[in-house]
Amino acid sequence: MNARLVYLTLAVLLALWVLVPIFLIATLAFSDRASVFAWPKGILPQQFSLETISFFFGVEGVGKAIRNSFLVAGLTLVLAVLLGAPAGYALARYRFAGADAYRVLILMTRAFPLAILAIPLAVRFINLGLYDTALGVALVHTALALPFAVLVTSSLFLGIPKELEEAAWTLGCTRVQAFLKVVLPLALPGLAATAIFAFVISWNEVFAATLLTLRERTLPAFLLTALNDSPLPFRFAGGFFLIVPALVFIFVIRRYLFTLWGIANR
Amino acid sequence: MRKKWIGFSLVGGLLVALAAVVAQQPSVLFVSTQFTPIEEAQRMRQVILKDFSGRVEFIPEDNAPFTNRILSEARAGKVNVSLVGGLHGDFPPLISAGALEPVDDVMAQLKDRKFSPTFVNLGKMGTGNQYYIPWMQATYIMVANKQALQYLPAGANVNTLTYSQLREWGANLQKATGKRLLGFPAGPRGLMHRFTQGYLYPSYTKSAVSKFRSDEAHRMWSEFKALWQYVNPQSTTYDFMQEPLLAGEVWVAWDHIARLRDGLNQKPNDFVAFPAPIGPYGRGFMPVLAGLAIPKNAPNRAGAVALIEYLTRPEVQLTTLVENGFFPVIQTKLPDNLPQGTRMGADAIARQAQSNVALPSLLPVGLGAKGGEYNKVFQDTFARIILRGEDIRRVLDAEAANLRRVMNDTKAPCWSPDPASNGPCPVN
Repeated sequence: MNARLVYLTLAVLLALWVLVPIFLIATLAFSDRASVFAWPKGILPQQFSLETISFFFGVEGVGKAIRNSFLVAGLTLVLAVLLGAPAGYALARYRFAGADAYRVLILMTRAFPLAILAIPLAVRFINLGLYDTALGVALVHTALALPFAVLVTSSLFLGIPKELEEAAWTLGCTRVQAFLKVVLPLALPGLAATAIFAFVISWNEVFAATLLTLRERTLPAFLLTALNDSPLPFRFAGGFFLIVPALVFIFVIRRYLFTLWGIANR
Repeated sequence: MRKKWIGFSLVGGLLVALAAVVAQQPSVLFVSTQFTPIEEAQRMRQVILKDFSGRVEFIPEDNAPFTNRILSEARAGKVNVSLVGGLHGDFPPLISAGALEPVDDVMAQLKDRKFSPTFVNLGKMGTGNQYYIPWMQATYIMVANKQALQYLPAGANVNTLTYSQLREWGANLQKATGKRLLGFPAGPRGLMHRFTQGYLYPSYTKSAVSKFRSDEAHRMWSEFKALWQYVNPQSTTYDFMQEPLLAGEVWVAWDHIARLRDGLNQKPNDFVAFPAPIGPYGRGFMPVLAGLAIPKNAPNRAGAVALIEYLTRPEVQLTTLVENGFFPVIQTKLPDNLPQGTRMGADAIARQAQSNVALPSLLPVGLGAKGGEYNKVFQDTFARIILRGEDIRRVLDAEAANLRRVMNDTKAPCWSPDPASNGPCPVN
């Protein structure tokens, strides 16, 4: 009983820790300017107002930036899973020379701060014609997301008994069929988690997105620098604007996560 | 479950297809470090640039990606940007990399604009060529809540306030209200270092570099430390003073005019704007200058020249003032129907610049990419003396070594108000 109480308290605290900031941002995003500046600020929404939020939809280029953000994050998600899952599978199923070195090398891509690569990267992208395209940004984001994708999927495939696959082979499946019919369904929740990772990494990334685009900005690149220097009401509205799409995406994909954590389908 | 997964892949595929939608007509791509706040960018696009005959794509961004972008484009030899706008201090790294093309021909076309000669000179960046055309200017002033005026020390006037009167004022405010009501933008993105460089140091030492560790500077810091006990401790979180002013957390504040104007515009009847305080050598203050330059191999140089011509027209300069709070760089009469907040700011700026105690000090000249290190010396000195209470003499000696290194590395000669020097500006 006591343990349950502690458990519940912890759960509530954890939920509050995540929800309270989102709640405050949301209420202030929908308040009028005067109550944003008021001191002390109220906990509950003060004067409901759509003024600042609707301003955002009116800003030139926001629609395009949202589209670009989804495009880049979607491309990153697809590329990271398509490239990362086979690599993870190979690391999990095959012993090959240099497997350990390969594992470390994957992490190396995260070891170089993007800032020192900025100019060479931009120059190369300009020469390749990838500058100012969604594909170019997605490629950089894929490079950033791949270490996670490879390592997460490799431990994922390690967790799926090889015997299951072998049983499928003895029952007449080819290697590909066995993978598709047996391994993949079991791996799906983990792959979904990998996909979320890739999506969120791309969604939150500002540096490469700012540097490599001019007209084809993603939403964070478009808004984040602008928000730093903007008055308070815009920072709340912009913050709300930035977290909502990511929240919606995670909500859509959450049932895969629940399966991953061993909670029954719901 | 697999169906869902296939669904995801399909969505991804659709998104890829969307990527193909890219079609652009020729226009002037205008990248600027100014007007990054979203409202200002929007007003720039919709109001200030409205009557320009050509098509402009206005893209504001932070100083670091801005510099990287222009340098990368220059190095790749494939330039997209036709016009760049930035502060005086944004240009040196671009010029030393050879990324900008001189605009002497454009300057010649704009002979009738009556630019302030100081600004035209600054635009030459110490060379024989014009590298940027002055665009707009701003500065830093003080704003006070009207409730605070009754606590002014006897005989003090906000327009001729001295630093010691400011300290007394803060003391009176604390006595009357129990709160520390002076405020400075000492937050992470605040411009406190401009206060020490351009206001405090010149007012007390008529210098920013050569007398950095002088006895006068020592006295200045100990007096400012005495003043700081009446400053709201939240100041280390303030980036823009308009917010604490509007919230009533602070009654008297110093900041960049663009970071105060929201307060002045929203509640013009609650606030007064006035010049910075006066020190032993006069009223040190720092004008801020923004300019327009054209990259080498710009794809649309003609369009950029036309846009420069447009942005420096008297009526567009006034629109820029009314919409985004930057002041004209050409000599022009301000109309009487300015919004009240803008008018208040304009009056304070005029009083600050034109009084007989005025001691204008320029933004650092010739530091190039080391501008950040220069600022850091002043930020660190402030933090160590005022916030951490370290010994003033020791801090000044230690930071003077850093300052000397910046000066020697860049070989930058002294700029106003420091007396001219042969070779790098000495830190005595």
